[in-house]
Amino acid sequence: MALRKKTLAGVLLASVAMLLAGVAAQSQGLPPISGRDVTNAVEPVTIPEDLQAKLSVLPKEKLDIIRSGRTSRYVRPERMFAKLRTISGPQMIAYIDAILSVTDAGEYKAGRDKPTISLNTKSPQFNAWKVLRPQTMNPKREAGPLELGKYIGGFGGGGIPTFANAPPALTYADLVAGKVDVAIVGAPLDMGSGWRDALHGPVLLRATGGAGGNDMYSMINPNTELKIVDFGDIAMDNLSTERSVRHVREVVRDIAKTGAIPIVIGGDHSLEYPNLAGITDVHGKGNVGVVHFDSHYDIGRDRVHLIDHGQPVYRVISEGHVPGKNYVQVGLRARGPDAKTFQWMRDQGMRYHTMVDVERRGWDAVMKDAVAEAKVSAKKLWISFDIDVLDPAFMPATGTPVPGGLTMREAQPIMRRLCAENDIAGIDIVEYAPYLDTSYKTALNTNFLLNACLSGIAMRKKGLTQEHYLSPISSMDRPAATAPPPPPPPKPATATKALPPAKGTRR
Amino acid sequence: MSVLSRRMGARLAVCAAVLLLGLGAQAAPKTFEYPASLAPKLSGLSPDERAFIGDAAKLESFGLTPERLSIEFEARDAAEVKAYVAGLLSVVEESRFHEGDLGELPLNPEASSFNGGTVLRPAILDERTRDPGPISLQRYLHQRTGIPTFANAPVAVRKEDLVAGKIEVAFVGVPLDMSSGYRDAKHAPTTLRVTDGLVGSDVDAQVDPTLVLRIADYGNLSVDNMSIERTIGHVRFMIADMVSTGAVPFIVGGDRALTYPDVAGVVDTLGKGKVALVSFSPHPDAIADFDHELVDAIAVGRVLSEGLVEGKNLVQIGLRGPQAKAADLRRLADQGVRYHTMAEVEKSGWESVMSKALKEVTGGAEGVFISFDMSVLDPGDAPGVGRPVPGGLTMREATPLVRRLCAETRIVGFEMLDIAPIMDPTYKTAMNANRIMNACLSGIALRKEGLTKPGYLSPVSLGAKR
Repeated sequence: MALRKKTLAGVLLASVAMLLAGVAAQSQGLPPISGRDVTNAVEPVTIPEDLQAKLSVLPKEKLDIIRSGRTSRYVRPERMFAKLRTISGPQMIAYIDAILSVTDAGEYKAGRDKPTISLNTKSPQFNAWKVLRPQTMNPKREAGPLELGKYIGGFGGGGIPTFANAPPALTYADLVAGKVDVAIVGAPLDMGSGWRDALHGPVLLRATGGAGGNDMYSMINPNTELKIVDFGDIAMDNLSTERSVRHVREVVRDIAKTGAIPIVIGGDHSLEYPNLAGITDVHGKGNVGVVHFDSHYDIGRDRVHLIDHGQPVYRVISEGHVPGKNYVQVGLRARGPDAKTFQWMRDQGMRYHTMVDVERRGWDAVMKDAVAEAKVSAKKLWISFDIDVLDPAFMPATGTPVPGGLTMREAQPIMRRLCAENDIAGIDIVEYAPYLDTSYKTALNTNFLLNACLSGIAMRKKGLTQEHYLSPISSMDRPAATAPPPPPPPKPATATKALPPAKGTRR
Repeated sequence: MSVLSRRMGARLAVCAAVLLLGLGAQAAPKTFEYPASLAPKLSGLSPDERAFIGDAAKLESFGLTPERLSIEFEARDAAEVKAYVAGLLSVVEESRFHEGDLGELPLNPEASSFNGGTVLRPAILDERTRDPGPISLQRYLHQRTGIPTFANAPVAVRKEDLVAGKIEVAFVGVPLDMSSGYRDAKHAPTTLRVTDGLVGSDVDAQVDPTLVLRIADYGNLSVDNMSIERTIGHVRFMIADMVSTGAVPFIVGGDRALTYPDVAGVVDTLGKGKVALVSFSPHPDAIADFDHELVDAIAVGRVLSEGLVEGKNLVQIGLRGPQAKAADLRRLADQGVRYHTMAEVEKSGWESVMSKALKEVTGGAEGVFISFDMSVLDPGDAPGVGRPVPGGLTMREATPLVRRLCAETRIVGFEMLDIAPIMDPTYKTAMNANRIMNACLSGIALRKEGLTKPGYLSPVSLGAKR
């Protein structure tokens, strides 16, 4: 997210370096990850010859700070030198002192600055935000998903809005007892840098249609093929991302431990970090690859806060949850990354498909590559889907929209394909901000993308994992009289089984 | 609830006592006699457990009353009843801070610009020199559009500009976006700059504050929208700094949490006990207990508990909605706080409430700080706010009170809070917010002109005798 102003010279230099090292870097092995920010490194400054004599009146330690490059963050060296050529004496000393003083004030200084944020640990409500409701308070019941349907027929649901019209589950025991395949859980974290309101994302996606029901492309109804539940919302402390993500990690881990696939509905994109930390707690570090749809690269670092919605990818990779070589980004087009960060991404072995790539080669070629890269990356796949990867025409209601994005007709097939052609560890769909969604089309599109993935997971369960499977029933016209008949669908019985409106089908 | 077995015992009594404080339950616990038929089931409870279920105030946070609880118990056997109550008590225990919990949130000291957002730019680092003083950004002499500033006022970049221009009112934006409701207060300063309503005279007073007063737009203060805690110090320092020039800060938030650093900054310069606070809000924002240092719901409470403003010098106007609980109101009253709920307005009428409030404020402290949470107005007048509550004041009620407060008392600061422009498609919230600030500016201008007679209205506008 963050825009880092670069000098033209810096960008050029880095670009040249990238050209030289870039292509080779992608095929090289993984360099050790320093854990430190590459942009944190300051570039030393050389004092021009014509100024050396003039500046020699300054104490060595002051000159050393300027030479170190630390002051360049506040006054660009060339600008400083130009000014220094015009002033001298006390004016020059005052000018240098001002630069040193803002540098000192800007940097962290032990003793002066607090490296933490204190909470009120004396509060008897310290953990109240995430304390569980004792199940002993409910009437006794057998474990398993709850049945809220009032009527025996009809469309199910009974009026209580849930994700994909799925029955709710309250506890991990419910997931186990119900042999749940997919647990959809809300995570209303509302700390994004743009328009906020991701707080209301989960409830609004429950309240609007589009998820659940037959997927015409596969002719599969995920609600009938999979045991899906709505696992409620994960508790958040919306005054602290740092606190919230720790709890999210626990919940994602515990869902995955039951064998269910967690689908996390955000909330802002900080969630990707605890999601992957939690899922690799169960499946093992390095065993989960990622396809990350986003207009932003989200590899921010060198920030005061260790996690925000522009930094999850850095945390995921630098902490080793997912090796860079198993990380694929699709749809990048925001202001970042700069050339240096592209280089960092290549050094990690990350694969990226920017909208520039789509402009150059077209969507089909990019989708083909991204799906192929995902398949070989690791045993299991996590999809982190920031809805701002789509064009604002389709997703106006998102915190940090960026024009020039994917269309629904591009995003739906890749979601379905990734979920059908990979062993899905889990997915997240993030950054929906309902108060910007006056027409609710963002909600509708988001729910359709959720359904595309649910359909893909259901396809995989039925063995329909061949490359870009589409149902013969819906994808072909009737055969021409002279043409040979099309190959029959693999299991006609299956197709007809999906036809009657089952419980959970939307109108 | 394994925590229960691990940690119960002696701690329980302490926890229960602390919880009582936590809920702000000052009321005597209601006693409730459980039906005699339940006696056998309740006999297995420990004295602590028995006391707990008899205390309505403690049960409230579970959404329970003794009556509800007896219905729950009827359907359960003795062992289940015991487990039920133990479950409740374990919640109390689990809610506390425990060893190993994250009591300090880590930051990144290696960040190359740890304090970068709040480092002020010294004049000597400007590319070009200029004399101090406010700078008008208007190209033409009479211009309604162009680069937007609060009240079309000239811009003051540094304190020296305020001093050189002998600025009397300095607007400043503080885009803190951490409301507990709809968040978008970060866009409020910009939105209020680009919308009308702040400039010119009104018919009531026939005084043009933008002419009478020297006003400047002091830009925005830097905030950390990932942490209120990291924002407080800088805002407090900057407000104190502004006040030290003699200017009255007009602070455009930002959310209600700002009341604390705003008032603290003014008090830092003027002195403790010297400032009265008039709070317009449906929310008392003085809940007893919280796990963070600051948030909207505790901002007013902190101003009191730190003695920045004495209880007798706090007047709250427009209280309504679910946050205005009896326990909190009683606690405020015990500290000498005067409050005026919408229930009182319904009973006594606005005129009576307004004159009472004015009387309470005048003659108290030396200076008056007005905190105007835009949600004090009815959502009909102000839909674009973070924490709307129906049944609020109208513009025709709020405007005269604000004008009178600003004319009849010495205003030392004003804050306009919790506007969420994204919820304001017609811009009426922005316009009304600007009109409210214009009413206060008018009042300050009236005072400067010596027109401090209670309830002054322009004779011309009233149709004085021809």
